[in-house]
Amino acid sequence: MSTETKPEIDIDRSVGDFRYEMDYAYDAGVGLTEATIDYISDVKGDPDWVRTFRKEGYRKFLEKPMPTNWATKDLENIVFENIRYYLAQGQQPKRSWDEVPDDIKKTFERLGIPEQERKFLAGVEAQFDSEAAYSNIKAAVGEQGVIFVGSTEGLKEYPEIFKKWFGKVIPSGDNKFSALNSAVFSGGSFIYVPPGVKVKHPLQAYFRINAQNFGQFERTLIIADEGAEVMYMEGCTAPKFETSTLHSAVVELVAMKGAKIQYITVQNWSSNVFNLVTKRGLAHEDAEIKWIDCNIGSRLTMKYPGVVMKGKGARGEVVSIALAGDGQHQDTGAKMIHAADNTTSNIVSKSISLGSGRATYRGMVHVPKHLKGCKNNTECDALLINTHSRTDTYPAISVRGQGNAVQHEASVSQISAEQIFYMQQRGLSEGAAMSLAVNGFVNDLVQQFPMEYSVELKRLIDLEMEGSVG
Amino acid sequence: MSATNSITSTPPVPGRWPEWFQHDQQRAWDLFQSLPLPSRRDEPWRFANIKATDLSGFSAAAPVRDAADLVSRSSGLTGLSAKLVFGNDALLHSETADLPSGVLVMPLEKAAKEHGDLVRKSFMTSEVRLGSKKFAALHKARLRAGTFVHVPKGVAVHKPIEIWHWVEGESAAVFPHTLIVLEEGASATVIDRFVSAGNDASLAVAVNDLSLGAGSRLSYVGVQDWSGRTTAFHLNTTEVEKDGTSIALQMNLGGAYIRGESDSHLLGEGSRSVMLSVNPASGEREIDQRTFQDHFAPRATSDLLYHNALADSSKTIFAGLIKVEDAAHETDAYQKVRNLMLSDEAEANSMPGLEILADNVRCTHGATSGELNQDELFYMMARGISPKQAAQLIVRGFLGTVLERLENEELQSHLGAILDRKLEI
Amino acid sequence: MSASSLSICDLHASIGDKPILRGLTLDIPKGEIHAIMGKNGAGKSTLAKIIAGHPDYTVTSGDVLLDGESILGLEPDVRARLGLFLAFQYPMEIPGVTIANFIRAALQARLPQGEELEATEYYAKLYAKMDALSVPRNFTSRSVNEGFSGGEKKRCEILQMAMLEPSYAVLDETDSGLDIDALKIVSAGVNALRGPNIGMLVITHYQRLLDYIVPDKVHVMSEGRIIHSGDKDLALKLEADGYDWVEKQFGESGSKAA
Repeated sequence: MSTETKPEIDIDRSVGDFRYEMDYAYDAGVGLTEATIDYISDVKGDPDWVRTFRKEGYRKFLEKPMPTNWATKDLENIVFENIRYYLAQGQQPKRSWDEVPDDIKKTFERLGIPEQERKFLAGVEAQFDSEAAYSNIKAAVGEQGVIFVGSTEGLKEYPEIFKKWFGKVIPSGDNKFSALNSAVFSGGSFIYVPPGVKVKHPLQAYFRINAQNFGQFERTLIIADEGAEVMYMEGCTAPKFETSTLHSAVVELVAMKGAKIQYITVQNWSSNVFNLVTKRGLAHEDAEIKWIDCNIGSRLTMKYPGVVMKGKGARGEVVSIALAGDGQHQDTGAKMIHAADNTTSNIVSKSISLGSGRATYRGMVHVPKHLKGCKNNTECDALLINTHSRTDTYPAISVRGQGNAVQHEASVSQISAEQIFYMQQRGLSEGAAMSLAVNGFVNDLVQQFPMEYSVELKRLIDLEMEGSVG
Repeated sequence: MSATNSITSTPPVPGRWPEWFQHDQQRAWDLFQSLPLPSRRDEPWRFANIKATDLSGFSAAAPVRDAADLVSRSSGLTGLSAKLVFGNDALLHSETADLPSGVLVMPLEKAAKEHGDLVRKSFMTSEVRLGSKKFAALHKARLRAGTFVHVPKGVAVHKPIEIWHWVEGESAAVFPHTLIVLEEGASATVIDRFVSAGNDASLAVAVNDLSLGAGSRLSYVGVQDWSGRTTAFHLNTTEVEKDGTSIALQMNLGGAYIRGESDSHLLGEGSRSVMLSVNPASGEREIDQRTFQDHFAPRATSDLLYHNALADSSKTIFAGLIKVEDAAHETDAYQKVRNLMLSDEAEANSMPGLEILADNVRCTHGATSGELNQDELFYMMARGISPKQAAQLIVRGFLGTVLERLENEELQSHLGAILDRKLEI
Repeated sequence: MSASSLSICDLHASIGDKPILRGLTLDIPKGEIHAIMGKNGAGKSTLAKIIAGHPDYTVTSGDVLLDGESILGLEPDVRARLGLFLAFQYPMEIPGVTIANFIRAALQARLPQGEELEATEYYAKLYAKMDALSVPRNFTSRSVNEGFSGGEKKRCEILQMAMLEPSYAVLDETDSGLDIDALKIVSAGVNALRGPNIGMLVITHYQRLLDYIVPDKVHVMSEGRIIHSGDKDLALKLEADGYDWVEKQFGESGSKAA
């Protein structure tokens, strides 16, 4: 109901003072035209059907207006003409380690990020040499028949499976940004798990940093065949240095009968990034799709992981933690579309607004006519830390017919100066007091992340709390 | 298809209002013409049946055929302090019984002439923010009759004031208006009854504005029992100053398409607004309610409870925003909507919203949609009650819990009886 | 004033523009319990908050010394780690933070960098203290003070005091809202902590608490300063005769320090 325009952030150039390598042999330049699409398809050696798909996406992108009738007017600050839509590996901008700001270095230390990963994350190196660990996983899962490759390789080597589902869970025309992604996607993963195979290790667990997954327009497609189970993790708690201002990823999940997919994301993009992501899963009979999402960075994140429960007894779940610090807007939520009887969906969202940060929850729960036995439960809690922070909640719940139960509860609470004083009087420093309260607030959600992430998350929250004090 | 003398295109005939009022009406007419009709993309009209907002088929209501009949049917509470009966926007009857001196309960037209300053101060001064700006302008432009209630400082009006609004005639349009102003420390109870004389397809665009001074207390009830073919807009703005308390209930028993907008401004420290609604929806009725609990001042309380029982292929939309502005520390704001789904074709849409900008607030909102509790049904049937009756009792109980929030037993039982009759219990 | 005392020296303090303490002097040596009584509005709770370092108040002149060192200007948590404990009149609720974790964090904060609190020892001690205060053991997993009755909140304050072992404790109207049984339990808890290594300041409106927590000295506070002092019998006299006689005799015209 109410939005406001924020002046375009003056990007602190001292942070991003990097030098481009002067090799412009393969350079699509800035701005997006049909020629850019052709260039991308040429460089990648796309099969014709992909080139056509891209151009179709580009047309839809041009047609669709910006969704500022409901979303923040800050979107109007994205200047499409100034963005590079494709950058080959060797052209990634680099900076020297000395140029990396101290507080970033300190964060790496506090979070215990390994040395080599630090250089990649800080933009000092364009590529993270993960081949060793990566090939171990690939070998291990390869034995089980699991396909785990980049999206480019996926569409080339496995077109039958790829084409079957690619663009079906999220059609290009779903929204302006999924259309953009369909036009210029590059990077991301393609995973296929054969029937009955339960992948033991979370994929990406041994190398949390995959250069491909930090692309601007990554596209991921995960298919779990009947009875299969897989967990996938992307992102990292450490801040990722990024020069490009727009990230628009698309993630499609397909869980066939009885399959289970868990997709875990931790996002900590630098504070100049617009992070606009479309994520959706299609759950067939008795299948389960669970999104666990933690949003800490970026200037603006708009992300509403969704599940379409297409088969009887399917289950969708979204667990979301959002931390909006000074100048940030985390606009997140969930979409649950019930399309069969006895389907269940569960949404738990906890957000924290700090300083002048703004956290917004947007939810959609849809239970159409003639369905029976569907249940949804949504719990949405917001924590405000200081006087100038802001939190909004905008759920939309549509229920038709009897025989279904839908419940939505939301609450707002805060850590007041009195509570902080009370904790300080017991000997906790101001920062420690805030960490304790915030960690208490999100604790049961953090437990749902895999171990390494949950430890890092706690540390990151501690850091953010300390940083917001004084 | 436009009617001849359509209310949307034929300029209104100026009434006997004072010049300043007529001037306002002219401006409102211009505004109505210039504003566009709502579209599906407008957030305040999400999920709504936009077609119903095309009002071109209605024309201004002609005088009623049998005024005496309508007056005799206007029988509600006993023990009133004042009663007014309007039929097709004309005053048919007025009486006062036990009205303390200084209290004004009079037709708006008379008040505009004799107490122009008072009326001007409070008459439609707030911005219409919940989506019906165009229709509020139409109302203002075509207003012919209304009620002005003004209670001076410190005066308590113990007995209720009852106002009846009748509509009669196919495609007839009426524009009921109730303006209530309570000065500091005053108190009153007002009940608005909206009824169709027959089964015509009519239109009502009604406005009620409640203005509560510091420490004042108002209980306001609006009961609407329009015919099943009627389109009605019920637009409210409530402003509460320091330590004032407003308890308002809207009961929707009839209509084909109802659009209700309730906008509460918690302006003074310690102010309180309780917003209640009881909606037994049946047939193909659509009840679209948009609310706003807007906290400007610290330590104020707002509490919203809406219960919808949806039978047949009825449809409800609830969109409620709680906004806690920057300075409104220590706000207590609650919002709860419950939808009881009684048939396979019913549809309930809920959009409870929160925008919090202040510190130290206690805010919860919730929306639930579910069906009749099987255990409760079984328990009653085990006592020999038929399933149909058991369902009725549960629905009646479900709706009754909202009435209990009225803090006035006489009103509670009166409204309970009206509800019983409607549900045929 | 001595090296082992909590000393308040001619303290003047205000909240915003409004002066509340107007030259208050008090000395609480370790091993003693002092009580402050006075009418509502005398500034008793304000004194407690100022000693603890509450940000809403400004000290305009004077000093507060803990073991001879000034603590004014120190953050509340630094004062706490120096050995100061305040039992709040209205203890705060901290949703999401369990009592077990809270007290543990407070104890951990006092250990040198790198040293970890030993879990089994911690829980053994915690349960022992909870039993002594009749706080049910399952309260360890309840959020601090959330949904607690008045009596439970006060007992939780004393539990924290027992676990944190302060050198100086200020008890701000610890008896308010308690029935006689709760009062006995809380008082027993406080008395169990009495000793040569702790100095206590008990702030109360009613004499009744002082039947159970018997003070060494009693001070009367009025309009922001101490106007009269005596021993425990002074409390009984105030109970019987009220405050007027003290005000008349000692008020306004100057203060008599103990």
